[in-house]
Amino acid sequence: MSTSEQEIKNLISQEYKQGFVTELETDTFPPGLDETVIHRLSKVKNEPDFMLEYRLKAFRHWQTMKSPEWAFVKFDPIDYQAISYYSAPKRKEDGPKSLDEIDPQVLDAYKKLGIPLDEQERLAGIAVDAVFDSVSVATTFKGKLKDAGVIFCPISEALREHPELIKEYLGSVVPHTDNYFAALNAAVFTDGSFVYIPKGVRCPMELSTYFRINAANTGQFERTLIIADEGSHVSYLEGCTAPMRDENQLHAAVVELIALKDATIKYSTVQNWYPGDKEGKGGIYNFVTKRADCRGDNSKVSWTQVETGSAITWKYPSCVLKGDNSVGEFYSVALTNNYQQADTGTKMIHIGKNTRSTIVSKGISAGKAQNTYRGLVKVLKSAENARNYTQCDSLLVGDKCGAHTFPYVEVKQPSAQVEHEATTSKISEDQLFFCQQRGLSAEDAVSMIVNGFCKEVFRELPMEFAVEAQALLGLSLEGSVG
Amino acid sequence: MSAVTASHYTADYPAIAPSLPGQSLPWLQQLRTDALQAFSATGFPSPREEEWRYTNVSGIEKKLFSVPANQAASDVSADLLKAYQLQDAWSVVLVNGRFSAELSALSGLPDGVSILSLADALATQASQVQSHLGQAVNNAEHGFVAFNTAWFSDGLFVHVPPKQVLAKPIQLLHIVTQADALATTRNVIIVEESAEVKVVETFVGADNAYLTAAVTEVFVGQNADLTLYKIQSESEKAYHFGGIYIKQERDARFTHHNFAFGGLMARSDIHADLDHSSECVLNGLYLGVKRQHIDNHTRINHLKPYGISRETYKGVLDDKARGVFQGRVVVAEDAQKTDSQMNNRNLLLSVDAEVDTKPQLEIYADDVKCGHGVTVGQLDDKSVFYLQSRCIDEETARNMLTFAFANEMVDKISIKSLHDNVLEQVLARFPQQGVDKEWL
Repeated sequence: MSTSEQEIKNLISQEYKQGFVTELETDTFPPGLDETVIHRLSKVKNEPDFMLEYRLKAFRHWQTMKSPEWAFVKFDPIDYQAISYYSAPKRKEDGPKSLDEIDPQVLDAYKKLGIPLDEQERLAGIAVDAVFDSVSVATTFKGKLKDAGVIFCPISEALREHPELIKEYLGSVVPHTDNYFAALNAAVFTDGSFVYIPKGVRCPMELSTYFRINAANTGQFERTLIIADEGSHVSYLEGCTAPMRDENQLHAAVVELIALKDATIKYSTVQNWYPGDKEGKGGIYNFVTKRADCRGDNSKVSWTQVETGSAITWKYPSCVLKGDNSVGEFYSVALTNNYQQADTGTKMIHIGKNTRSTIVSKGISAGKAQNTYRGLVKVLKSAENARNYTQCDSLLVGDKCGAHTFPYVEVKQPSAQVEHEATTSKISEDQLFFCQQRGLSAEDAVSMIVNGFCKEVFRELPMEFAVEAQALLGLSLEGSVG
Repeated sequence: MSAVTASHYTADYPAIAPSLPGQSLPWLQQLRTDALQAFSATGFPSPREEEWRYTNVSGIEKKLFSVPANQAASDVSADLLKAYQLQDAWSVVLVNGRFSAELSALSGLPDGVSILSLADALATQASQVQSHLGQAVNNAEHGFVAFNTAWFSDGLFVHVPPKQVLAKPIQLLHIVTQADALATTRNVIIVEESAEVKVVETFVGADNAYLTAAVTEVFVGQNADLTLYKIQSESEKAYHFGGIYIKQERDARFTHHNFAFGGLMARSDIHADLDHSSECVLNGLYLGVKRQHIDNHTRINHLKPYGISRETYKGVLDDKARGVFQGRVVVAEDAQKTDSQMNNRNLLLSVDAEVDTKPQLEIYADDVKCGHGVTVGQLDDKSVFYLQSRCIDEETARNMLTFAFANEMVDKISIKSLHDNVLEQVLARFPQQGVDKEWL
């Protein structure tokens, strides 16, 4: 493979193409966190009183907690006082009424990212909520969704307009006491998406949120809440990018999904936060709590994630399978290169009868990266005939990286059937040789083999995302074999 | 952790210290002092430690087990000996943690082969013991190891010189006769280059509550071959900790068969360090009934290239029993071409039984072949149906299949008398109508 060495070097040194910074005027809080910051935050967002109380409660609880250390990742302690907890593009007092009023530079930024906020140039049939630093700047297709009865809006708007739904559901899946980062998020979250699908409605289009960190020295704390009422169906996509910076930035989001009786939620993520440079400098710390509550019978939640970015990824999208016959799925591709670290996986908690879960995790580790799958399958005594199938495959590219598998299986019900399987290997020389011998370059061969390795997961992604994910994977990985 | 109860044991220590072997050896006294200090600091492990998250040993702390005054061989019932002592083996019998010359059978040892009690070895070949004791494991491991190092009262010492192939197996028969007894034993097994040895560790006791805390350090030399059997048939009320720590040299082969049948709470640690082209096979079977809690904890460290490891653990849990399996395979950066497979299969027979399993792969080398698999479930309905369609009633069919599931591990035993002995014990676990000895 020495012939293609130069080509490989070129590919490895390929820049993170979403790494630009948008210059614009912002309203940014000075760094630091105390109760006055939370008061101010709540006031800026014009929130109802109960939210302020909720935030303060969370903040007080957070102060009693310690940063967890059990994950297989290494990072310097985070100085929470050095982070600014609010940053938003400057805007007129009453906010933009239409796209024309959004700062054209913000629009430009999204155009550069290939996210059309302009409905005329839209990707067919996808409604987008764009979150820029701490605030949502635009939500498209609101009208069409309203006709269907679907509520899709920034969560800060939902706080004002649908307080009864917020009161009932916010924090009901991930309570503010859940973990360190969830508590922090509950105290300081600034925006995010809110989705409510009424009874029996099949959401007419894919919903999507695009998260962008732009400002320096800020953290992004977004909160997403999706409620699928009885018999409804929704597919939700999430994408994220950030500029290239030498310092690490914290992203601590909380995502709560609630599926009532017969409802289905499909949640897809393509995570491409800035991963840091080749020496491991900079990059986003992606410490996220994602959990779905399959509350009703026959409900279904499917998580699909493609994790290629972030210096550190630390997240476990989970399903609590409460309803009888409910189904949880987790499909994941986690790719780490250079000095990236990922500790990711899922938790499937079987409570209801005949609950089923499927876990397919593909880890790819290259460069000096560490990639860990950590998962829990727990079958409680009440979960008669529960069924789980887990498959974790790891692919190692290069001899300086690590791939680890830490599954936990806890079964208290004899009629349950739980299977876990894991393999770790490298790209086979034979396969590479076979492809090259038929005229493919080493790069194309690796890309093809890796794509094949991840196919089970990509198949679960919505069309547009699948294309993006494959391209991303190629970009992040190609060339690291040589 | 409960420093209170740790102090409960440490307060007792000065009284028993003078009775422990190796009083005249300063290095051993130092080792014990350090261990006592380490234990005072940590106490017994708590479920807050990741490696102990499913096993809570606070029961040991609530009770104070103490070193029994009486170590008489006459205490040991003839039935117990008859049932567990292998006839075609050299045997070292430890009663309540002390060597019993009377019950042991050590005649006709080949020249150069040492099989004796650790206390005797400390008296006659102290330097050999010194160069190995504490080399395969240290106090940092966890509280039980430190506890054992400070408290051990005796044990087995085996030294087999190069190229020696032992004709008979060696049995370590560990018997506890007294209630509330504390039996702390330390074993050192040294198998030199190209030697071949089989060792059987058997743990039994009278129907009492007592605590066994045994640590075995094993050194397998270049190209040597050691097969180690552990038959844990402690009393139903007993607490058992047994740690086996293995250092394998280049091309060394180590095979372990771990049968966990007894104890109210039983924990096994099996940790092997592999060198270049070493081979490590770990087999295990755990059968839990009533309120038993059986924890098996294995770790295989592939430190050098071309190592091979194979691990198969099977569990059958009935009543309110809880089975725990934690298996970890670590492949170091240098250990290219490692080939490792781990398998854990569990059968749950009752609604109150529980299994917690945690197989782990930690891999830092790329050119490796590693995999693991875990299943938890019940008997295959198709197999049950097949037998039923051949006029075997359902209960019998289920018993047959459960037995067959377990018997796979029993059949791997190559010592005939031991095989029969273990089979007996497994059969005793299954209602007779299902499993007829005639078939076997």
